[in-house]
Amino acid sequence: MVCDNVKVILKNKKYREIFKSKMFKIKFRLLNILNSKLKMLKITSLLILFAAIGFSSCSNDPISDLSTEETLVYLTNRDKTADYAQYKTFSIVDSVLVVENNRSGTALTEIDRDLLQRIVTNMQSLGYTYVSPKSNPDVGINAAWVTNTQLNVVSQPSYYGNYWGGGGYGYGYPSYYQYYETSESYWLISMVDFKNPNTVDKTYKVIWDAQIRGAGIGSTQLIDNMVDSIFSQSSYLKIK
Amino acid sequence: MKKLILAVFLSVGFTAVHAQEAPKLYTLPSPFERYTHYLATARFTGALPLGSFSNSYIDKSSFKNYSISLEWVFQNNVSVGGEIGSSYFQKRLPRALYQGDDETISAVQTRTLTQHPLQVFANYHFLGKSSSIQPYIQISAGVSFIDYTVYYGSLAQQQQKVAPAYGVGIGSKFLFKKDGSFGLDVRAKYEGTSFKYDYIEKGTSSLNGSVGIFYRWW
Repeated sequence: MVCDNVKVILKNKKYREIFKSKMFKIKFRLLNILNSKLKMLKITSLLILFAAIGFSSCSNDPISDLSTEETLVYLTNRDKTADYAQYKTFSIVDSVLVVENNRSGTALTEIDRDLLQRIVTNMQSLGYTYVSPKSNPDVGINAAWVTNTQLNVVSQPSYYGNYWGGGGYGYGYPSYYQYYETSESYWLISMVDFKNPNTVDKTYKVIWDAQIRGAGIGSTQLIDNMVDSIFSQSSYLKIK
Repeated sequence: MKKLILAVFLSVGFTAVHAQEAPKLYTLPSPFERYTHYLATARFTGALPLGSFSNSYIDKSSFKNYSISLEWVFQNNVSVGGEIGSSYFQKRLPRALYQGDDETISAVQTRTLTQHPLQVFANYHFLGKSSSIQPYIQISAGVSFIDYTVYYGSLAQQQQKVAPAYGVGIGSKFLFKKDGSFGLDVRAKYEGTSFKYDYIEKGTSSLNGSVGIFYRWW
């Protein structure tokens, strides 16, 4: 917030300077008014200097130099009670589940196809045998693209300068608010145990899941790399 | 001939006057010695992390640190004042695996620590106020507004807290001009906070070397 304020001050200073140079040309204003404006500029410069010294650290963006690949984060969770050696066969959904807030549907774009295909390749190299969904696989793999969107609100700071002199008057503005939306998407891949269903609750247990997060998750060049990473950090899935 | 006599007379007279005035030039002590006065300093600081803060979180030196201080200089050797600053530490770690209980995270980690310390301090000066070199020792205490942010890739884990801060330092002021208002300030200071969170288990500590410019007035 402080950083934003400083930026606004800087902007205003620029505008004021442009305005001032025009005023000089037109000789529109009296000399004493210009003098008072100059004084004000001095004070403003001091304030900016102080702000620049005091808050320069908050203008840091520590992750602006990360490459697309470096922004990616792979999170995997396992069920420690699961014995993966008991599973032999697997199957996978035919399209990606797309979840946006509370709505959901399915999609099969190029990147989705690449993702599903790469999961199959990885599962096979871990020792699992691919079977069709109708052939009672031991485990099932789900893949989803999840997006959470949030609406945020902030009050807008007011900087109007004192170009109009004011004569002791301030400005009677109402409070303005700015809205901005943030949304975060991630891949969610989960492995479901079909071999040992919970017959009491009628549920299948998720024995492993993986999230792929970060700025580069929509990159088709990196999708194989992403899938390889989540499996390579889950060596306990290996059955052969 | 007349001219020559005049010239000799004048030059002798001038030398005599000059010789007589020399010891009188400075009889009154400087106002900075006679009165309590104010002193403002702006400093640029290089900081070296120490101890467990360096071992377990960030061991990289930082050169993004600044501070402004205002002090009240008494007629004796003591001065007291306040200092507000800004400091920033950062370290990037290449992609690595972080193991939780049943969770594994693979990420490029960027560790940061931003501080805005606000402290009161007391200085003891070893030499007088008109000395061109004025060594001093300093103790300080206050609070630090701390922002601890660890980035996993582009995701951030953040903790903000106000923690007690303290420091001891040794330094010296160097006047640009005898009895002048401006001068250079050089200081080495140990600074610590009791901030504890996640990777930082025993508070933060660093050795700070700073160079500053001061202005004094009365």
